[in-house]
Amino acid sequence: MNTMAKSLIGRDRPLEQLQTVADLIETPALARIYTYTEREGPVTVGDLVDELGIPQGTAYDYVQRLEAADLLKQVTKSRPYEYDAEAISLTLSVDGTTTTVTPALIAAIAHVDTDEDVDVYVKRHGLDGLSAALEYAFEQVGGTVNHRIMARELDLSPLEAEIILQALEPVATAYTNAAE
Amino acid sequence: MTTVYIADTGVFVRCGDPSNEKFQRLRRAVRQAGVSLVVPRRVYEELGGDPAAEAYPSGNIPYPKGFEEGWIVVADELDYTDPLVSTVMDDTRRWIANETDRDEDTVEKADTALIGLAAQLLDAGESDDIVLLTTDKPAGNAAEALLPGHGFEGRIEYRYVSEGYLETITASEFR
Repeated sequence: MNTMAKSLIGRDRPLEQLQTVADLIETPALARIYTYTEREGPVTVGDLVDELGIPQGTAYDYVQRLEAADLLKQVTKSRPYEYDAEAISLTLSVDGTTTTVTPALIAAIAHVDTDEDVDVYVKRHGLDGLSAALEYAFEQVGGTVNHRIMARELDLSPLEAEIILQALEPVATAYTNAAE
Repeated sequence: MTTVYIADTGVFVRCGDPSNEKFQRLRRAVRQAGVSLVVPRRVYEELGGDPAAEAYPSGNIPYPKGFEEGWIVVADELDYTDPLVSTVMDDTRRWIANETDRDEDTVEKADTALIGLAAQLLDAGESDDIVLLTTDKPAGNAAEALLPGHGFEGRIEYRYVSEGYLETITASEFR
């Protein structure tokens, strides 16, 4: 099966993909697997176990879930199988508020497990708060915002704005460069 | 020849990892060079003004130690009645609004405090050169774009304080 056919199947089943994306945004370990594969792929499950410190059983289980939702695809025919990621772009619109789930947002969520500042921010402001902060992190990387303006616009303290901007800077930098 | 190092909030946030290794490194570099970091009042208020930030590992910044030890100092109040200071700050406000694509009304005096302080110190002859240590790119760029036009050509330098910058900082950065 070629790549095109496979991603078309994914697009044909937005609701099923939505279910896996929902898992992805609330399970940082799943997000880490997706993000690592998206950045470094093709990778094997062994690579994920070694690099992310995720138990082997969990890694196999998660890779299968992501593959079933067409978010990962197997790119080799023989063992050890290698996987690559499919780009996510899922736009949600609720009562006029639109959010897009992107690989960068998944990468930010992956940081919940590895960066306590991001974890605290999500506990205080939720995933929508994180998504909004990520937009500012992109602007910050581009030099078109600072923590003070962000603080006023999101009703945060300048210190909290600066903390989350710095925590998300690696994600925004990586995905800014990727877009260029 | 005196150089004054003005440090913004982001410098101290960048230091804030649980081991405070970067804070120790900055402290060593500044003290070995025999200089101090000057923080505008506004930055001092930002650092201490949010109890909620204590929930964050990076919010637990041991900056009060720097004040006790004397290598971080709070600057004098900005003199808004000084025409040069107020002109520079107004120009900066417009510049930042344009650069960030915001309405001019949403950019506040606080956003321009770093540059106002730089202008005040240069104008008063308290320093020959200013180095601005910040993560605020619009402010840093504004300083380099605007201050030369007020007679301070070649006397202001903006350094973006990245993670890598602090991880490798030594006293030679302050000489």
